[in-house]
Amino acid sequence: MPTISIFQQDFAQLLGQPASIPDIEQWLPWVKGELKDVNSDTGEVRVELQDTNRPDLWCVEGIARQIRAVLTGSLTPHSFFSTRGRAKRRIQVIPGMEHVRPYVAACTSVGYPMTVEGLAQCIQTQEKLAEAFGRQRETVSIGLYRLSSIAFPVTYGLVKPDEVRFTPLGFEEKMTPQEILTVHPKGLEYGNIVAGYERLPLLWDTDGQVLSFPPIINSRELGEVQIGDTDLLVEVTGTDLSMVILALNIFASNLADRGATIEPIDIVYPYETAMGKTVKTPLDMGNTQRVLFHAIEQALGMALGAEAIQTALTSYGYQVKATRQSVDVKLPAFRNDLMHVMDVAEDVAITRGYDSFSPIMPQTFTVGALSQQEQTSDQLRDLLVGFGFQEMFSNILASRHELVERMRLAGTEYESLVEVDNVMSQTYACLRPSILPCLLRVEALSPRVFYPHLLFEVGEVARVDKEANVGSRTVLALSAISAHPGANFSEMHSYLDLLMYYMVWPYDLEPVSHPSFLDGRVGRICCQGQVIGYIGEFHPEVLESWQIDMPTSGFEIEVTTRNT
Amino acid sequence: MSSPNQTDSLHPLEIQVLQALGTASTEALKEPELVQATALAASQVSMAVGWLLTKQLVHLVSEITTTYVALTDVGIQFQQAESPLEWILHMLQASSQDGQSTTVKDLQATGRFQPTELSRAFGLLKKEGVLSLGAGGSLHATGQKSAMAETLRQLLNEIHEGSRPLHSFSADQQVLLRQYAVKRGNTQEPFRIDDHTERAFALTPEGRNLLPNLREDAGQEISQLTPELLKDGSWRNHSFRKYSIHLRPPRLAVGRRHAYRDFLDTVKTKLTSMGFQEMRGELVETEFWDMDALFMPQFHPARAIHDVYFVKEPKHAKRIPEPFLSQVAETHKNGGGTGSKGWQYAYDPERAKRLVLRSQGTAVSARTLATNPPIPSKFFSIARCFRYDNVDATHATDFFQVEGIVLGSDINFRTLLGLLKLFATEMAQAKEIRFLPAYFPFTEPSVEMHVRHPKLGWMELGGAGLFRSEVTVPLGVTVPVIAWGLGLDRMAMVALGIQDIRDLFTSDLEAVRNMRRQL
Repeated sequence: MPTISIFQQDFAQLLGQPASIPDIEQWLPWVKGELKDVNSDTGEVRVELQDTNRPDLWCVEGIARQIRAVLTGSLTPHSFFSTRGRAKRRIQVIPGMEHVRPYVAACTSVGYPMTVEGLAQCIQTQEKLAEAFGRQRETVSIGLYRLSSIAFPVTYGLVKPDEVRFTPLGFEEKMTPQEILTVHPKGLEYGNIVAGYERLPLLWDTDGQVLSFPPIINSRELGEVQIGDTDLLVEVTGTDLSMVILALNIFASNLADRGATIEPIDIVYPYETAMGKTVKTPLDMGNTQRVLFHAIEQALGMALGAEAIQTALTSYGYQVKATRQSVDVKLPAFRNDLMHVMDVAEDVAITRGYDSFSPIMPQTFTVGALSQQEQTSDQLRDLLVGFGFQEMFSNILASRHELVERMRLAGTEYESLVEVDNVMSQTYACLRPSILPCLLRVEALSPRVFYPHLLFEVGEVARVDKEANVGSRTVLALSAISAHPGANFSEMHSYLDLLMYYMVWPYDLEPVSHPSFLDGRVGRICCQGQVIGYIGEFHPEVLESWQIDMPTSGFEIEVTTRNT
Repeated sequence: MSSPNQTDSLHPLEIQVLQALGTASTEALKEPELVQATALAASQVSMAVGWLLTKQLVHLVSEITTTYVALTDVGIQFQQAESPLEWILHMLQASSQDGQSTTVKDLQATGRFQPTELSRAFGLLKKEGVLSLGAGGSLHATGQKSAMAETLRQLLNEIHEGSRPLHSFSADQQVLLRQYAVKRGNTQEPFRIDDHTERAFALTPEGRNLLPNLREDAGQEISQLTPELLKDGSWRNHSFRKYSIHLRPPRLAVGRRHAYRDFLDTVKTKLTSMGFQEMRGELVETEFWDMDALFMPQFHPARAIHDVYFVKEPKHAKRIPEPFLSQVAETHKNGGGTGSKGWQYAYDPERAKRLVLRSQGTAVSARTLATNPPIPSKFFSIARCFRYDNVDATHATDFFQVEGIVLGSDINFRTLLGLLKLFATEMAQAKEIRFLPAYFPFTEPSVEMHVRHPKLGWMELGGAGLFRSEVTVPLGVTVPVIAWGLGLDRMAMVALGIQDIRDLFTSDLEAVRNMRRQL
């Protein structure tokens, strides 16, 4: 969910009417936007955009365009999408690009003198599109250039890493692409995208001047746009043709909305693409789709009628042609998010406003119920509370140190855990296989809290199980501990015995050895031939490692298995 | 506070203190005087005074804090034998008489004092000019008298008579006392400097009024009825001391549900009462159920390494059940049979098997959809979910999501709003609701519900929508399905008086025992 900065004045100008903060707040639902922050001194407004499928809305121009359409009832399509014949300028793609970064789209923008705010917005859009939509420049990256210094045709081709030298943005001296990858901050940040290729992508003009090393960095001579520049070249490269073209369509529409004249450029490929070998960009890729009125009405639960649906869609910027039963709709060229009739239905609802749909209470009867596990869990909780135990509620993620080392389980059969691969913090690196460490953590942190401490928790744990489809099982477990100067095995045994009696779970205790407990004061809890848990006095070494100075005993039983 | 039979409820200790104050020659008595007058232990007096203060039968007349100096065990030893200063001077005197020279090492070797103690004494004596250091580390007395040693001796002797206020000493003496007083890290010092607060108490008018009625047989009353007294009927010969029922009772450690879990119990009860069936899932989930089945494309930004916890070992599940895998794969590629054009990319069935810690409760709903659920039906789950996040006051790494689904042929956008309205009233007692457009990868239309809670004001209560056909159809469901999720943690935190989300799962027993619902 991108958050962007827009400026109130700039926004009002693009909208073509004054826009107060309450106005903006009222309009933002049309773009699934939320006002985050307003700086009344600078007029800066922070807006969070929810829709990850509408990159056209991640900029002030797009937001203003969408709101303007709803306010005025329609959207006038940009004329540069429908120019005829070949373009004035050309970019030639060299064979071999199809294996590295196959696609490029470009256009020129003339007549809009770049302002401080305009440039800031351009850079913001460039970043949001390349980062969030273009997956950190991998599928889409964008470059802006000073058009007047470039001699067409431009070539999009490959060079050896040390074949050319140019001055990259942010540096004073000329460097080879290889050097850029090893020392330039952008080379270090994005170099992985072109890693492993013998030859690297480059854009150069007919005089041999380098425009950029996509997707890494622009040349400083041609690619450093200044305030006041009126003639620009916009270029998008990437690995997904329709995403590359969509990004250019958005960028071109934004500049056009600021008053620029957009002229398309022909991209000439030596290989076939989904749009042909010569692709004039920007390009309206939208298809007309037929949608039944009935489908929309059924989805929205309201007989809106053909006219209301048409009006709503037109207001939202669709091109609409109605027949008796259906409507042929086409999205504007800067959108490519129509996958299903429900997408159209939602746009109808958004234009009309969600509050215009009166809620209908659900009528159908269904039986409510808790799962068997939850019922058992509640039964156990009631009993333990009645026995005088305080219920605890812990995080399921814990550290290996707590779960294994402190429990004296390292190097034993009990040490395997479900561990996180991409650990953020060692404190939360493993799923707990038992709740006992969570309760001992409480004991360790609460030595000055009024005694006795009788604690329990019923909750989920994850146990490694090689046979299971996901390599582990989620198990419901009950753990209880008692900590006070007289805590011992017999006391916990009494509680366990009473619990098993009320649950009608006949059980036996078998003497065993368990590293967490004192030998001779630990038992395996068996229920109908199955081991369901352990009971015992915690080994003094366990208590020491938790820095617990109080005798503590406890038990844990697996509840899941009891349901069958 | 005062009642006609107030004397009856007085504790014997209280009565003794009241009597001591009432018969004293001065109006106010200091604590030590009270101890003397009552012949009680100091702790008993202070307990009784505490109760009497609460009852406003006595009042605090003065409170004076004085800093006292006393001797420690080390100090008593110094006083009775020698201080290190005196000892060093003696030793040097003795050796020079024998014509021998003494070094620091020699003195240390005697083991009489700690090395640090000796070095300090050397330093002080050298500074005074009482001793000098010769060749080979030999020590010589210059013959000058040590004023310091004499002052210290004087202090040791004086304080041995009994502890004295610090301010009764001269400024120079105070400096020396502080230098030789017990500090943190060094308890081997001769002096101890402590603050003593001396409080004096007197009877309040109410307390004085009670004096004539005080019982003389205060010690003869029964405080606790016993089985013996009942068995032989001897209780009839005794009177029972009356309790001061205004006093705070002793604390209990009791059995109780966890307050946050209790809050979630209310939620689940509400949901079952509305006809929802509980569903459960696994903590470790495949990307297939966690994301693919929810029509989140495999390149979706929220699926990156910085959003989801991946499992280390094994990395992949053994299998994904068919026909769901193929159907979901087709839907991602080109829409399959769902009427959608799909995401148009090469779906990777291996990626689908990648194991993650369940990142959203909707994964449980996806699995339920694939079980051929009855129509109509309603489900909910309160599922533990995990996010790759830095844990702080507003971000938890594992947390609960309350969410569910409603399947039925009558489901549409307006019944979705109806259900949300029902939630608003049932869960948040809210009468005012706002519905706003929202975005979730798996629903269309999507809606966010804001409600005006009677106590919390406007808040986001949840998100919902109609499951996309791209979600339902590949899992075998052909009726419309509402997917909803409620964000209840904020409400829970306010109800429990918690500001930090980490406190919902705190390991601090005191905090857990004190937590209670106030909403």
